[in-house]
Amino acid sequence: MSDKKFEPNDSRASSERSELTLLSQDTDIATAPPTREQTDRIRTTAAKSQGRLIRERFFRHKGALAGIALLALIFLLAFTSIGFAGIPGWWNKDYDVLAARFNEGKPTLTLWPFSLGEHPFGQDVLGRDYFALTMRGTQTSLIIAFIVGIVAMLIGTTVGALAGYFRGWTEAFLMRITDVVITIPTVVIAAAVAGIVAKAGIIPFAVFLGIVTWTGLARLVRGEFLSLREKEFVESAKSVGASSFRIIFRHILPNTVGVIIVSTTLAISGAILLETALSYLGLGVTAPDTSLGKAINDNRSALTVRPWLFLWPGAFIIGIALAVNFIGDGLRDAFDPKQTRVKQ
Amino acid sequence: MGSHTSEIITDDQAPEHEGPILAVENLGVEFNVDDEWVMAAENVSFEIHPGEILAVVGESGSGKSMSSMALLGLLPRNGRSTGSAKMLGKELIGAPQSMLRRVRGNEIAMIFQEPMTALNPVLTVGEQIREAIEQHTELSPAQAKKRAIELLRMVEIPEAERRYDSFPHQFSGGQRQRAMIAIALANDPMLLIADEPTTALDVTVQAEVLDLLRKLNKRLNSGVLLITHDMGVVADLADHVVVMEKGRVVEAAPTAQLFAAPREDYTRQLLGAVPHLGSKVGGVLADVEVVDGRLSIHEEYAERLQTDREHRSAAGVVPALELIDVDIEYPGRFRQPAFKAVNGVSLTINPGEVMGLVGESGSGKSTIARAVTGLIRTAAGSVTIGGTDITRLSARQLLPLRKKFAIVFQDPAASLNPRLSIGDSIGEPLLLHEKLGRAALDERVASLLDDVQLPVAFRNRYPHELSGGQRQRVGIARALSLQPDLLVADEPTSALDVSVQAKVLELLQELQRERGFACLFVSHDLAVVELLASHIAVLNKGTLVEQGSTEQILKYPRDAYTRRLLAAAPVPDPKEQSLRREQRSALLAMGAGE
Amino acid sequence: MFYFIAKRTIISFFIMLAATTLMYFLTISSGDPFEDLGETSGPEKAATIAARTAAMNLDVPPIPRYFLWLQDVGHCLVPGGISCTLGQDRTGADVLPQLQNAMGSTLRLVVVATVLALVLGVVVGIVTAIRQYSTFDYSVTFVSFLLFSLPLFWLSTLLKQYLAIDLNTWLSNPQFSYLTIALIGVVAGVIWAVVVGGDRRRRLMVFGVAAAATALALYLLLVTRWFVNPGFGVVGMLVSAAGIAVLWTALLAGFRRRRVLNAALAAGAVSFAGYLVSIPLLTDPTWLVVVALVIVMAVVSYVVAGAVGGPFRAQAAKIGAVIAVSVSLLILLDRLLQAYPTLSAKAGGRPIPTTGSQSANLAGTFWEINLDYALHLILPTIALTLISFATYTRYTRASQLDVMNQDYIRTARAKGLSERTVLVKHAFRNAMIPITTLMAFDFAGVLGGAVITEQVFGWNGMGKMFVDGIATVDPGPVMAFFLVVGTAAVLFNMLADIAYAFLDPRITLS
Repeated sequence: MSDKKFEPNDSRASSERSELTLLSQDTDIATAPPTREQTDRIRTTAAKSQGRLIRERFFRHKGALAGIALLALIFLLAFTSIGFAGIPGWWNKDYDVLAARFNEGKPTLTLWPFSLGEHPFGQDVLGRDYFALTMRGTQTSLIIAFIVGIVAMLIGTTVGALAGYFRGWTEAFLMRITDVVITIPTVVIAAAVAGIVAKAGIIPFAVFLGIVTWTGLARLVRGEFLSLREKEFVESAKSVGASSFRIIFRHILPNTVGVIIVSTTLAISGAILLETALSYLGLGVTAPDTSLGKAINDNRSALTVRPWLFLWPGAFIIGIALAVNFIGDGLRDAFDPKQTRVKQ
Repeated sequence: MGSHTSEIITDDQAPEHEGPILAVENLGVEFNVDDEWVMAAENVSFEIHPGEILAVVGESGSGKSMSSMALLGLLPRNGRSTGSAKMLGKELIGAPQSMLRRVRGNEIAMIFQEPMTALNPVLTVGEQIREAIEQHTELSPAQAKKRAIELLRMVEIPEAERRYDSFPHQFSGGQRQRAMIAIALANDPMLLIADEPTTALDVTVQAEVLDLLRKLNKRLNSGVLLITHDMGVVADLADHVVVMEKGRVVEAAPTAQLFAAPREDYTRQLLGAVPHLGSKVGGVLADVEVVDGRLSIHEEYAERLQTDREHRSAAGVVPALELIDVDIEYPGRFRQPAFKAVNGVSLTINPGEVMGLVGESGSGKSTIARAVTGLIRTAAGSVTIGGTDITRLSARQLLPLRKKFAIVFQDPAASLNPRLSIGDSIGEPLLLHEKLGRAALDERVASLLDDVQLPVAFRNRYPHELSGGQRQRVGIARALSLQPDLLVADEPTSALDVSVQAKVLELLQELQRERGFACLFVSHDLAVVELLASHIAVLNKGTLVEQGSTEQILKYPRDAYTRRLLAAAPVPDPKEQSLRREQRSALLAMGAGE
Repeated sequence: MFYFIAKRTIISFFIMLAATTLMYFLTISSGDPFEDLGETSGPEKAATIAARTAAMNLDVPPIPRYFLWLQDVGHCLVPGGISCTLGQDRTGADVLPQLQNAMGSTLRLVVVATVLALVLGVVVGIVTAIRQYSTFDYSVTFVSFLLFSLPLFWLSTLLKQYLAIDLNTWLSNPQFSYLTIALIGVVAGVIWAVVVGGDRRRRLMVFGVAAAATALALYLLLVTRWFVNPGFGVVGMLVSAAGIAVLWTALLAGFRRRRVLNAALAAGAVSFAGYLVSIPLLTDPTWLVVVALVIVMAVVSYVVAGAVGGPFRAQAAKIGAVIAVSVSLLILLDRLLQAYPTLSAKAGGRPIPTTGSQSANLAGTFWEINLDYALHLILPTIALTLISFATYTRYTRASQLDVMNQDYIRTARAKGLSERTVLVKHAFRNAMIPITTLMAFDFAGVLGGAVITEQVFGWNGMGKMFVDGIATVDPGPVMAFFLVVGTAAVLFNMLADIAYAFLDPRITLS
């Protein structure tokens, strides 16, 4: 979405140079028009690191910037309002304190003139402050989502890297395991385990969800490794006697960061939705903890009478997932200035 | 001029008209990148007359391809063109798409560089020719098919009827380019734009395709706009040449005049940079004489050189590299037999000697380069480096030996890790083998950069910030960092422009003289090999057909394949090239007669 | 091909075996099967415990218990199916009959949702790719990101609560004010203008025409009380058949060859004749009659269009068959719509159901029963489709853009082919190749999603079997559910690979 004007040419474009290279005295074969990467270099004769180029491309992506802003806002709101891990926040009510219902528990939030009122998001049936409850749920959901993302990334990357690099029996074995896990729909396998683990607490629950959602990433990383291991720079490393460990971690893995980061962000937004779905089935977070999914599930029968109990947590789920998805899209564009890869 | 008949082209169908087919005046091409217009070509003017072949020559980025794309309105979406291009008086620049569509493939047709990617992989070749015919004529599908088969036959595809239903991946590279030509000729175009038509092909195939283009051009009396970077191809085919540099026309002249007396400095530089086959040893195929189209080969010339060879094998030193009866197989997958890429190859390189390994694609030359550096395993035979057979060694045992040999790869864009800085790339072998500290490493890297004539500041840069030639220098620095006794160079310059290639070759030669390492120089380009190598080995389909001193191989080859290979390589000299063409057809005729 | 299927079947068998093992042990260790009895006491409890232990083989250790279950499945694999029960649930009832009851509705939901999402997603994806960086592209991108981010059950609940109720209320008295009609017209106009694009003048024109046409059509439909008595009628059918013929010709052949257009129109005429002839046959048919009719129409149109097509026989015949199938589908739709008034009356004037997969004890014609299915499908299908639609558009867009930058597209343009030929013939097929892989992935996702939608809409499908089974730690129903889901996923994967090889001649199945 960021490169509005430039129509990406064929895949050779990035590896080839044109006369626009001010840095160089000599050039090699190119038939493609100048790429963004090249014009980046025209403007600034000073060398830019790859990281800086990626950052610049990312910050040109308006959707991603909006996503970052939204996510940061949600983070701040959720963690400063009611506090976290014993540190108190600026909001004076607690999510588990029962109180008398004020104006039938309707939200008191007004946007113009802006005022939070007594209970900005209203109160639930038991009179608990729904703003505090939603914030608490947001905290839980965010924590779960990020843990799931990280666990899935670690497992998926390891499995994919080993399978893609070593081929042979390692690959056959790991990919068959992946096939087995892929055969079972994520919701189903998660539902089967969630019941037990969720009782153990949020973190084991999140780790377990990570353990069942790594398969997509493993396939992607394996695909990347399969193509990168045939690249000449890998052969070059082999020819000077670099160990497999060094080749995987120093040579191939850094070149797959893009894929890994992008699909991790997608895994995070997927995890938010998965957590809510499981909570909806009664298999997710259990009391006294709460999460956005649980908040909706607890109040699903209230939709006709107290729609805010249903809508507020929903809005936060969508907000987080949307922000993360846009960030993922921005990262994809930043890491791969050519068109998005479609291979699985 | 959509032909309304299904007949194959005859000579009398040639278009009759006055003046040029195409007159280009002040053509400019620009690209919009991030709201800035970047010039790709400007003030380009030339004319093409019937029956004429005009070559537009230039190195990469000279704007030669983009100006030809602009003629047909095929620029990428962010491009725009200015100026004028009149085809028989009809303005093409700025014309509406509907009008351009009638011109494309009908009056002006194009051939592209990569036959591999230029044909749609999911449609049959016949279908792709047929639709070009149907688009511009009122022929029925059956008639169009008939004509498509005739066209396939015309471009010399064997068994045209059967091959009509084949998919592009079932064709060889040369056949694909022939199919492309068939598509381009489907509607008897007045002008054929050939954009690097033979760059992706082997020399022998290239020679055939060029012959075909020349024949067709004569028969059709149409114009050909040939876009190329290869001076040999220009000398072989073109009547007129336009030289472009950085989007501008530098010089335009008839071919003979341009090669004999280039006016501009740039042209002189360009011509000077092109390696000329036979320039060092003084002639190619000196024992082949063509008199009135009849061929005679003077066998006795070769014998004089035999003594040299005997002398060499008797030298008694430990060779830097010795291959004895090496077989290399690519393991077959389930139900597929293994593919034998190299079959019984033996060769010897003495210390300080440069051996050129020459062959076409699929000859197994890169496979040998990789086996020699321990990147792939051999199936049989021995590979001895400095007296140690590496085929029996485990990875761990091989590790200390890796200091003794190094490899430079073909594609400088792919052979450097994009996420490692130049300094880290060059320093990696030192780090692994000599376990140097930071300061010592920095010092060595700096001196290596200096050796390959790159500024020391480059060590903090990343590969994408360097040009192709600079990257290849980095590749060389990395390979030489451990001062190996043997350097394997796998087509190190074939991805580079000629002027860059010349500089890189010069550097390699200089370093080789200074350091005296032995070198296995793998290349498809005989002229490049001639510059560097003292000995040449010729590979064909995995077998070594001939080896000997450079002079012997180039002047008095014994093997028919070597002769064909030598005859097919075009030289950048129109006069010499036309003689060589005769030689080649005589050789081919003899080959066919045998 | 045969070899490929055999090989894949064997591999799939082992993958399924491993997956069932995993699933079985996860299920039985997910809780205590007697948890619900915790509070009660007395002889009743003891009796229930004894009965459950017997039914679920709880006296056998887990590993042999798994083999007992495998044995039950094995019975079903033996031809003849002696005592094929798929085991018992905790009350001792056979699982197989429950599964048979539940399977139909779930698969109907999943297949309809997948097909709809695929067709819509691919079409919209291609259009966004062609009109890259247009307002339409940006809007679709935003909408698909929004859809990606929607929790399925939340969306389903909203649909159920708002869409269904409002729609039902409106359908009982379908009226719009002039203002509403005008507004709908404007919205439709904007959408068309954005989709078609072009310069300012063209967009304004498209907007005007589309807005006026939509408003007028809506007005006429309301005045004729079409929403109470829907259907196409003979005239509508004739116009539609002609329209379909022209549309398919435009898409598949272009209008350069008059004979192909004539052939298509002939096929349209044949289909229309088919419609007239089939009126008495379709009063209360069976699926067999319906399918036979479609086939007959397709064959006749193929022959007729081929004959009219003359030299362009092959192309014309294919287009003819496509037209006939399209018109057949329209005839079926027409028939279903005609059944609407009676069914609506039977449903007490609230035709869009919000719970269940079919009306209980509905006795009616073929059309009424199927319309009842279709109406029950509407809401869950919308929910499921919207979510996979997002995936399909994004992938199709990326894939199409990738293809449009390939050299062979440039070659096709250099041949002077029309933009239609370049897009439909050269780009589309190549762009579809990676989508086949996505299909296999997405299908498993939709199956998982079905569990949730079924829960929201109170379907008695496999999802419920699964959720209840998990809640009660009862492996029988859970594993039965998984057998179907896993087999379907494996099967879809294989189909995707076959489709891949079919689309891409470079791939051979082995």
